[in-house]
Amino acid sequence: MRTWRDIARYHLVIPWLPLGLPWAILSVSFIVNLVIFAFVPQSYHEVMTGHGLVQVADAAPNYTGGVVSIYILVLVIGINSIGRSLPFGLALGVTRRSFYTGTALLGVALAAVDGLLLTGLQAIERATDGWGVNMHFFQVPYILDGPWYVTWLTSFVGLALLFVWGMWCGIVYRRWNLFGSMTFVAAQVTMVVAAVLILVWADAWSGVGHFFTGLTAAGLTGVLAALAVLLLAGGQATIRRATV
Amino acid sequence: MTQTAISVTGLTRRYHGHRALDQVSFEVEAGSIVGLLGRNGAGKTTLLRILAGQEFPSAGSVLIHGAPPTENEAVLRRMVFVREDQVYPDFKVRHALRIASWFYPNWSPELADALLADFELPPGRAIKKLSRGMRSALGIVIGMAARAEVTLFDEPYAGLDAVARQIFYDRLLAEYAEHPRTILLSTHLIDEAAGLLERVIVIDHGRVVLTADADDLRGVASAVSGPVLAVDEFTAGRVLWDRRRVASQASVVVVGALDEADRARARSLRLELSPLTLQQLVVHAAAQQANTADTLERTSA
Amino acid sequence: MPELAGLDEGTPLFAQIAERLAEEIADGGLAEGERVPSMNELAAFYRINPATAAKGLNLLADDGLLEKRRGIGMFVASGARKRLLAQRREQFASRYVEPLLAEAARLGIGADELLALVRESAQSLPFNTQGGVTV
Repeated sequence: MRTWRDIARYHLVIPWLPLGLPWAILSVSFIVNLVIFAFVPQSYHEVMTGHGLVQVADAAPNYTGGVVSIYILVLVIGINSIGRSLPFGLALGVTRRSFYTGTALLGVALAAVDGLLLTGLQAIERATDGWGVNMHFFQVPYILDGPWYVTWLTSFVGLALLFVWGMWCGIVYRRWNLFGSMTFVAAQVTMVVAAVLILVWADAWSGVGHFFTGLTAAGLTGVLAALAVLLLAGGQATIRRATV
Repeated sequence: MTQTAISVTGLTRRYHGHRALDQVSFEVEAGSIVGLLGRNGAGKTTLLRILAGQEFPSAGSVLIHGAPPTENEAVLRRMVFVREDQVYPDFKVRHALRIASWFYPNWSPELADALLADFELPPGRAIKKLSRGMRSALGIVIGMAARAEVTLFDEPYAGLDAVARQIFYDRLLAEYAEHPRTILLSTHLIDEAAGLLERVIVIDHGRVVLTADADDLRGVASAVSGPVLAVDEFTAGRVLWDRRRVASQASVVVVGALDEADRARARSLRLELSPLTLQQLVVHAAAQQANTADTLERTSA
Repeated sequence: MPELAGLDEGTPLFAQIAERLAEEIADGGLAEGERVPSMNELAAFYRINPATAAKGLNLLADDGLLEKRRGIGMFVASGARKRLLAQRREQFASRYVEPLLAEAARLGIGADELLALVRESAQSLPFNTQGGVTV
C-alpha cells in the first residue's frame, strides 16, 4: 500500500504535468471556442405574439465537442506513465506488478476527480445558458447530457478507459519499441475494421445499431467500463515480461 | 558466520540463438567488494541486469540473500543497481534524488549532498541536459547514498575523467569502511580498481573463466624478457602464455609465482622480470578461456 | 591506486602491508605498546580494500608481533622489535651474502679481494664496525 502511494508520488513529483496539463489544453480549447461563438452573430426568427411580431433569438444549442481534448491528453499521460517512467521506476526496486497497480490507481483517482470537475463545469454551463453565447462545450448530446451523476460516471469511465489504454500502449512501446507500438495500434484498428466487416457481411449491422441506440448513457458507460477492464488486464499481462 | 549475499547457479541467457550468458555460476560473500571483469560485450551487463531483476534468465537460478530477485519486492528493496544507460523521465537532478529518498530505506541525504558537491552536479539541472559524465555521476550519487545492502555497479564511470573516477573510488572505500555492504563492481578499467577488490570474477563470451581472490592473482604470472637463450633456460619446464621474439630478444609470460631464488637467478641471467598486472592477467585469461583457472591451479600447487 | 603508495604488483597486498608495518617496527618507527594504524586507516592511506589491510594486520598478530585489544585496536607487542631484528639476522646470509658471493663469482672476484672491498666500503660509509644493533 505504501508502495502504491510512493509510486503515485513518483508520477506527481512534477505536479503540473499530469494534473494541470490536461486542464491547460482544455482551457485553450474552451477559450478558442468561446471567442468564436462570441463573434458568431445571433440569428433571430419571428414569432407572433399578443403584441404582434416579435424577434426571438434562436435557441438551438451549438455543440463543439471540444471537451474531447482532455480525453486525448489523458491518453498521452497514460502512455508516458509507463513509456517514460518505467525504467527509473524499476531501478528503484519496485516490482512491475506494484508499478502497474500503483499507476493504474493514480489514473483512476485522477479520472474520478477530473470527471467531477467536468460535471461541475457542465452544471455552470447549463446555468449560464451556454456561457452567455449558447455554446455547449461540456455537454455532448446523448453521452454527457443527462443527470449530473450519469455525467460524472461517464466522464470518469471514459477518462479511466483512455488512461488505461495509454498505459498498455506505453508497455508495448517499452517491450517492442516504436515498431511494436505501431503494430499494436494497427492491430487494434484492424480488429475494429474486421468486426465491422463481419457484422456487415453477416447482415447483423442493423442489429448492432439497434443494440446501441437502445442503450442509455448509463448502458454505454457499462460497455466502456467493461472495455477498460479488458485493457487493464491486457496491460497487466504484457508488463510481466517487460524489461528496461 | 559469513553469509552468501549473491548465489548464481547455471545461469544462462539466450537471445535469438546467441548465448549472452552460458552456465554462469559463482557466489559473492556478504559485505565484500567483488570485481566483475571482462571485455565489452562479455556479458557483464546482462548478468547484472538479471541480478537486479530487470532481465529474465533463460535457465539457472539467482538468489540474493537466499531469495530470487525477480518481481520480489522484499529483495529488490535491499538492492540498488547503477547502470550507465539509465533512462529517467523529464526530471531535474533534485527530483531524481527526492524520489530515490522515498524508495531506499537506508537513504542518506547528507551523503547525497556531499557527493553532489564532490562531482559538481547542479541539482537544478534537467537530467537530459547533463553530459555523459554528469549522468554517470548522478547514478553514482544515487547508488552510494542509497546505502543498499547489495550494491551493483555496471561500469558506473562512463564519461568521468580520471580525477572524478578517483573521487568515486575514494568515496566508495570510505563509505564501505563506515557502512559495509556487498558491492559487485563491473569494470574494464581494471588496474584502477584493483586495490579495492577483494575478489574477482572474470567473464568472457558469457562464461566465467576465472574466479579468485584478487590478492592471490598478484604475482601469479610474470613477463620475462631478455636474450632468447637466457629466457629459454629460465623458463624451461614452466607453463608459458604468450611468446614474442624480435632478433635475439624474447619475451614470454611465465605462469606460477616466482620466489626469491627465481628472482636472483633471473638477475644473474640478466633477465627482466615484471609481474603481470591484474588487467594484463585478465586479458590473458580471456584469451585462454577456461584453461586459465586450471593452469593457475596447477602452477600454484 | 595502491601503486601510488609504492605497493607493487608482484606480491599479495596483504603481505606487503604486513611487511611494511614490520619494517616500521624493526626500524623503531613504531614503539612497543604503541597503537598501529587501524585497517580503515591503512585502507584509506594505501587506497585498498579494508579487508586486505585487515589480513595484513592479522598476519602480524598471528605471528605474535601485534596484540589485539578489543574495542581499541592493535598494538605493537612487547619484544616484537627484538624478534624482527633476529629474523632479519637469520635471513641476512641468504638475502645479502649469498647473492653477493654469486655475483662476485661471476665477475671473477676472489674471496680476498671481496673482503678487501668490504673493508674499504665500510670505512667510507657510516657503519658501526663494533657490531651489534645500532639505532
